[in-house]
Order: sequence, then structure tokens, then C-alpha cells
Amino acid sequence: MTAPGEGAPDVLVSARGLEVHFPIRSGGALRRTTGALRAVDGVDLDVYRGETLGLVGESGCGKSTLGNALLRLVPPTGGTVTFDGLDVTGMGRRQLRELRRRAGMVFQDPFASLDPRRTVAQTVSEPLEVHGLHPGRQARVARVRELLELVGLDPAVAARYPHEFSGGQRQRVGIARALAGEPDFLVCDEAIASLDVSVQAQVLNLLRRLQRQLGLTLLFISHDLSAVRHVSDRIAVMYLGRVVEVGPAAAVAAAPQMPYTRALLSAVPLPHPELERSRQRIVLRGDVPSPSRVPSGCRFRTRCPDVFEPCPDVDPALQPVGSAPGHVAACHLHGVVGTPVDGSGSTPAASGPPGATASGVRGTG
Amino acid sequence: MTQLPTPGATPAAPPPAEPLPTAAPVRPRWRETLGLLARNPTAAVSAVVLVLIVLVAVFDETLAPDGPNEQDPSLQLQPPSWAHPFGTDEFGRDVFSRVILGAATSLRVGFLSVAFALVVGTLIGLLAGFYGTWVDDVLMRLMDVLFAFPAVLLAIAIVAIRGAGPANAILAIGIVYVPIFARVTRASVLGVREEVYVRASRSVGASDWRLITRHVLPNAAPPIIVQTSVSLAFAVLAEAALSFLGLGPRRPDPSWGLMLADGRGFIEQAWWYAVFPGLAIVVTVLCFNLLGDGLRDVLDPRQRTLMAGSGR
Amino acid sequence: MSAPSFEKPATAAAPVLEVEDLRVDLRTPRGTAHVVNGLSYTVGPGETVAVVGESGSGKSVSVLALLGLLPARTATVTGRALLQGEDLLTMAPERLRQVRGPGAGMVFQDPMTSLNPVLTVGRQLTEGLRAHGPVSKAAARARAVELLGEVGLPDPGRAVGRYPHELSGGMRQRVVIAMALANSPALLIADEATTALDVTVQAQILDLVERLQSEHGTGVIWITHDLGVVAGIADRVLVMYGGRCVEDGTVDDVLERPVHPYTRGLLGALPDLAADPDEDLATIAGTPPAPTDLPAGCVFWPRCPVRGDARCETEQPPLAVVGRGGAGLPHRAATWCAEREAS
Repeated sequence: MTAPGEGAPDVLVSARGLEVHFPIRSGGALRRTTGALRAVDGVDLDVYRGETLGLVGESGCGKSTLGNALLRLVPPTGGTVTFDGLDVTGMGRRQLRELRRRAGMVFQDPFASLDPRRTVAQTVSEPLEVHGLHPGRQARVARVRELLELVGLDPAVAARYPHEFSGGQRQRVGIARALAGEPDFLVCDEAIASLDVSVQAQVLNLLRRLQRQLGLTLLFISHDLSAVRHVSDRIAVMYLGRVVEVGPAAAVAAAPQMPYTRALLSAVPLPHPELERSRQRIVLRGDVPSPSRVPSGCRFRTRCPDVFEPCPDVDPALQPVGSAPGHVAACHLHGVVGTPVDGSGSTPAASGPPGATASGVRGTG
Repeated sequence: MTQLPTPGATPAAPPPAEPLPTAAPVRPRWRETLGLLARNPTAAVSAVVLVLIVLVAVFDETLAPDGPNEQDPSLQLQPPSWAHPFGTDEFGRDVFSRVILGAATSLRVGFLSVAFALVVGTLIGLLAGFYGTWVDDVLMRLMDVLFAFPAVLLAIAIVAIRGAGPANAILAIGIVYVPIFARVTRASVLGVREEVYVRASRSVGASDWRLITRHVLPNAAPPIIVQTSVSLAFAVLAEAALSFLGLGPRRPDPSWGLMLADGRGFIEQAWWYAVFPGLAIVVTVLCFNLLGDGLRDVLDPRQRTLMAGSGR
Repeated sequence: MSAPSFEKPATAAAPVLEVEDLRVDLRTPRGTAHVVNGLSYTVGPGETVAVVGESGSGKSVSVLALLGLLPARTATVTGRALLQGEDLLTMAPERLRQVRGPGAGMVFQDPMTSLNPVLTVGRQLTEGLRAHGPVSKAAARARAVELLGEVGLPDPGRAVGRYPHELSGGMRQRVVIAMALANSPALLIADEATTALDVTVQAQILDLVERLQSEHGTGVIWITHDLGVVAGIADRVLVMYGGRCVEDGTVDDVLERPVHPYTRGLLGALPDLAADPDEDLATIAGTPPAPTDLPAGCVFWPRCPVRGDARCETEQPPLAVVGRGGAGLPHRAATWCAEREAS
């Protein structure tokens, strides 16, 4: 299921104009709202059924909040999310519970995501109890055994407490819990970030195997581009609350079309000394702006090496780029498309980028 | 519904040859806690003494050589002797018997008042801490108001309205301790609420009730347990103080506080009259406090790791 | 394989740091942990030696031990560590304090562990400068501004007045590097200094360290678990496992032609941006040994996929030369399997 190529792809999860803004309150008794932290700020994203979508970005870009908002674990403040055609934002109690069964989450820190006072069996069987699956003690015990085996753990460990396990083993327990309700969709939020390299590989292999074996749809959120490239069919890149580039994994990794993606990729250290010596790194200027003070127009313009005149004035929309089908990026280098900052409505290409062609391979080596 | 294939048929799922935890038997948490407590001699001795005191209170009528109000006018204010190890009071009653019989009164007031505060305070703290926002604001401001009253004044007011007697003493002491439990619980819940495992449970669809009862409360419990032990000490003292002020149990019922109050008048002729009930109070309060300190150490997860060497 | 001359590095200059048979034992409730077990290496001027390993390999402890930063009550450190000819391990505490700073600067993973939150950045820098020599207040301040500019803080004149919390993580790490370099040390030790940073910020910091190093001729020990970072910054690499050096050599030798099964496993476990993602990653079965309970023989044998020799489980393999690297530096590995391949 790695090729959502022919025809219209089957969309499982979809976000349109999704926003998660956290109010910034002043101190003191009155707690006036003085601004908003725009963690997720107008995201359009589709996750196709059966694919692994990698979501990359640096800390604070909102990728984790987006993952939580898709499952309504963080309430969106604007836009819509649909899951298998159902409106997630408007779901009632019962529907929401069914969503929780059909969509699971694997968390970053396996030392924090398991209740220290509950055994592995209690943790893994919680979704079964919540959703009334496999009723009866015997059936649940059998199901827990099955789940533990599925993630590569000895079922005999069911009666043990989390502190007896290593990080990798705990992460397997976390995955078993997420799979207990037989979900269609799994969000892995930095699921390998706190594991050692050799253990990361074990968990990555496990996730890929489970994805294929169970026909799961996976959203793999990570700051580690190499890991994302390894597991993903498609990659989405986030910057400052917005998805700025999406496309087939190979295309995004080999021919990134947005300057930020290019800088990000060039900064990934590769374990090949000769390659590292010859490689030209794009070192970005300065820091990521605060999500409470998002620049006007293109939000990457303050650090972009290719910035030109429409960038501050037009908020770029995702548009088809490159040669691979389904490869889109929000960048004026490919033609100025988007919402003017002062007015409303879309502008067709007002002016071309200076100098170079729209293919966007200017002066970045 | 996606059917999970049987794991046996999966292609090349390399079982991690990681050494899974072996040997060490699975020890439930409370067993571990008891084990650690046993290694803390002060707390262990305190616990044993408290158990003895409770046993004395339970079997008081069997243990006491004389009845509470058996008087012998010929033996007024006798110093300690073999027949009356704690001496006698101004009516010729056996102080030893009355100290034993008073234990039940003092402890009952202590336990029941703390139980009241524990239930009400923990519930308030739990709701305030878990739900936050306006629930938190309303409940905790209420607690602040309650907390702002001087404790003794509050107790006197309650007793003044409802009359003296053990039941009202329990209510008075209990109400005074409600804000303390509410605050301790809320602080602990606020910490636990943000734990990833709580979010993880929410992500699989657990209800608020389930989150609170299965995850938040058990993990927030240690400071509440410590607070209970410490509050028991204060409640026993408070009972004594209220009785001393004539606001608790009434004469001639035996109570440590009342005996202390009455014995005070005879401290120069008959030191034993006040000293032995006083000692009973001191020992009980001290043991509760020491046990509380011990529990604080044992229930602290960092201590647990250090002592049991089980964290990694 | 008969070239003992490999043993001496070709660089003529005297090494900044010479570590010889460094051993660190820590007393723990579960017994004595043998965290570092006989580590020897040298760092030349202007050279970067990367120490790589997974958590628990002893890589961090081995450098904390050098600067006397381990708790004296529980740690036993033996061996020799000559910093410009002076043994750090037998040094009086007073002298050691003087050496930290002008002799060897340190940068840790979390910049906040090195910064005082209630003092301005400038104040912390000038204090470091004035602690190690008679410098006037004004001169120290001028030097602080200069240093902040050197590490790439925008508007250094104003940055000296800022508090650490007003800076981003990357900027804080720059300040820590400025502090570490304030007294122009001969040696800079970076312990996972970029691990907490984003890749684009990491790239900035790596660039900065390389530039400063070539300007000042500083010897650098770069401790990390990230083999990608190693490839970019190191001249030589030392791979640690179970408190031992299992392989060392030039960065090209170790990363492109690894010999030890552990190094190979580690490299195989890395997802590669360029490689075919359809293949499963190689994994190393099991977990690293507990330092309280190290296996006899080769430290890696319980997890080793090769185990090609009868001695693996009984006899500890010495760190032996396995090939000639670039610049005539030896490529060494502590494994019984390598000999078979070489012969």
C-alpha cells in the first residue's frame, strides 16, 4: 500500500484549516488574554488509508500538537478534522469514544507513558475494559498475551511493573496498549526519540512490520529526518504551525522544493565522513520566531535564503511542485499563490521569482 | 474490524533477545512499602506502638483493672503503687484504668475527625485539581476562607452552636482539617494530572471517572497518606485541647484531655494525675508524627529507587 | 601487520591530553559498577576526538572523571591523564579548579546546568575571566562582548545584559561555549552538547566549534551518541561499549570500514536518508551489560552476532591494530573476530 498513485487516494484522516491557538494570559488575578500562541495555524493535511505519513519539523513547530488535535486530545480552536468521513470536531461522547478505539497513540517517553503503579497486563488491557472488548477475564488475559507477543514481548511479563523493563521494552508495552482496540490509525509522537540507536532500530522495524501486518495507517511524528525517511511513504514538513511541504518520501528527501525543507535536510548529519566533508550545509540565520509572533506572509521569510518581494505580503498556499505527483509546497518560488496579507481571496501568480525559474534551485548549492 | 493475525504466522518477527526481568518475585506496591518501612527503625517502632495503643483502646474494658468511675474515697490522690500503678485521682479513681479507657475516646475522636477531613478534603482537592478552571477557583477559595479562620475559634464556634460532646468535637476538628487535605490533594493531583500516562489513558478512551480512580488518585496518594498520619497526631492533640477547654467529651467520661485538665489543678500534690494522661498523649502524637515522617521517606519515589535499587 | 610505528601518531606536536589506562569504579547499592575499564587515548592540538557509545557505555563518566567532577565518596578513579604534561588525576583540588577554565573548558547537553539563571550572561562571562587572572572590570566586559560576538550572538553589546531565560536554547549553548572558551583553553570537552538542539541549530553550533577550533588550535573531545555528528566533526573516533574502547581510528576508518561487530551493528541500525528504506534496519539484540555485572571475555559477546572465536566468551580481546588509516594513524579494535579477517 505504498503507492496512493492511481485515482483519488482513499483519505482516512483529513484536516482543513486546522488551528490550535493557546491563549496567552497575563499574570495576576484577572488573567486577561493578551495574545495567542499559534501552535497549529491553518493546517491542511490528508492521511491516506494504509500509508505511513511522516511529519517532521523542529521543536516548537506544532507537529506534536497537530497529532494530538487530529485525535481531539487537544481541542482545535478552528478548522475541521474528519476521520473516515466523520467530523471529529463535532463528535459527541459516544462517537468520541469509538474514535479513541479506532485511533491510538504512542508517546515519546516510555518511562513516563506507563502508569508506574499498574502492571503491564493492567496497562495493556485498559482499552479492552474501556471499550468492553473481549469480555471476561479469560478472554482478556488471552488477548493481552496475544498483544504482547505481537510486539515481541514474552507474555510471561504481563504481571510485572514498568520499572522492571528497559526503555525499548516499555515502548513495546506502549505500542501494545495502542493496538489493543484494533485501531485503524496510529499516531506515533516522537516514539523513538528517547531510545538508544540500536533500540530505535528495533522499534522502527516493529512499527513497519505492524503497519504492514495489520494494515495500519500511521502518522509518524519525529524530528529525526532519517528515521522519518526510513518508515514513511509520504513526508509532511512543518514550520511554525503550518505544513509547508508534503510529498512522496523519496521526492521530499531527494528533491525538496521549499527552502526550509532544503535547509533541514542539509543539516541532518550523515554517518559518512567523506560525504559530510563534501556536503554544503545551508546554515539558517537566527532562530525560529515565537509562535506568538508569526511573521506576516510566508512565515519562513525571516530566515529564508531566497526571500523576495512577495514573501511578506502574500501568505503562500500549498501548490503542486517538482516532478513527483502529489508533491506540494507553500513557497512563492514556484509562483505566487496564496492569500494577500491585507486583503482576502487568492491571488494568481502576480510576479515571478527574481532571477531563477520556478523550479527553485537557486544558489543553495 | 481488522482481524489480528496470529503472531506465530508473522514473517520473521525477531524476538528481542533482551533479558526480560526474571527471578525477583512480583511484589505488589504495598508489600514493597511495608518492607521498606520495616527498614526504617523509628517508623517501624512507632507503627508497633500505635498498633498496641489501638489494641488497648479496643480491649479497654478487659484491660482496665477498674471501671471508669469506680470511686474509693479512702484512696484519694494516692501516689503510684502496685495496686494503682498511675496513682489515683481526687475521687479515688484509678488513673491507670482511666488512661486505658480514655484511649478509646481520644482515638475515636482522632480517627473519625481525620476520616471526615480525609474524605471531604480529598474529594474537594481531587475535583479542584483534576478539573481546574472555575471548579478549582470556587472550591479552593472556599477552602481559603475556611483556612483563614483560626482553628480553635472555628472549633469553639461549632461547639457553641451545636453544643459540647464527642460528636461535635469530631465535626469541629474534622472541618478544621478539610482545607489541609484539600490543598495537599490538589497539589498532588495537579502534578499527576499532567503525567503522560494519564494522557495515554485518555487517548485510549478512558472516562474521567476511570482516570481519577485508576490513575490519578493512586499516584497522588502518597502525600495524602503522610498527611493523614500527621493529622492524626494533631487531631489527638486537638481532642485533648477541646476537652481541656471543656468543649469535647464531658465529665465523668474518661478522656485524656479532660484528665489533663482536671489533673492540672493538683499538679503540686499529685503530679501523676496529669503526667500519665499527658504522657499517653505525647507518646501517641509522637508515634503518629514519626510514622508520618517515615512514610514520607518511603513513599517518595526517589527514596524508593535509592533504597530498593529498583529504578533505572 | 607488522608496523609498530602506527602506535605513535604522526603529528609532531605534543598532545594536549594523554589518557592512559583510565579506570572508574562507582559504588552503588547493587555493588561496584565498573564504569570505565582501561581507556587510553590522546588528543592533539587542533584535533577532535569523538567518543561515541550508547547510554551506559561510560562515555560521559570517562570525561567527568578527568576533571574531578565525580562524587569523591563513591567514585574511584585510577590511571593517568596528562593535560599538557600535568596529571589531572593526582592534582590537588585547588590546582584542578585553576585548570578548569584555562586548561579545559566543558560544554554539557543542557546549557542551563552551566548557566546561573539569576545572573546576566555578561556577568557570568566576566566572572569566569576574572577568576583566572588579574583583569580589570572594563577589560573583562569588553572581552565578554568580543566573545559573544565570536560565538555568533546577534548584537553582543546588548546580549551581555540579558539573562539566560531570555535566550533560545541554541543561543544559550553559544553562551556556554563562549564561557568554555573564555580563557582560551587547550582542551574543550563537549558532552552531548548538541543533543538537545534542533538539527538546524546543531548545524550552526557544529560550524561554530569547528571554526573556533581551527582559529585557536584547541583540542576537542566530543562525546555523542550520534554517528552523523561524528562524521561531520571528528578527526578520530573512539567507540565505547561496556566501559571499554572497542574500536578506535580515524573517522573514515571507523565509520566507513568498521571492524568491531558492535560498531558495525551500530552503523547498521541507523536509518539512512540515502539508503533504500524497504529493508529492515539491522538491530543489535539484547541490551548493554550492567556495569556491575560485566561479562567475562569480550564485553560484547552476549549480544554479538558473530562470536567467531573460541576465546570470545573467556578471554578479553586486546585493542589491536587492524589496519593503517589515513595519516598513518592506527585503526584498532578489541575483538577476536578482526584477526581472522585481517589474516
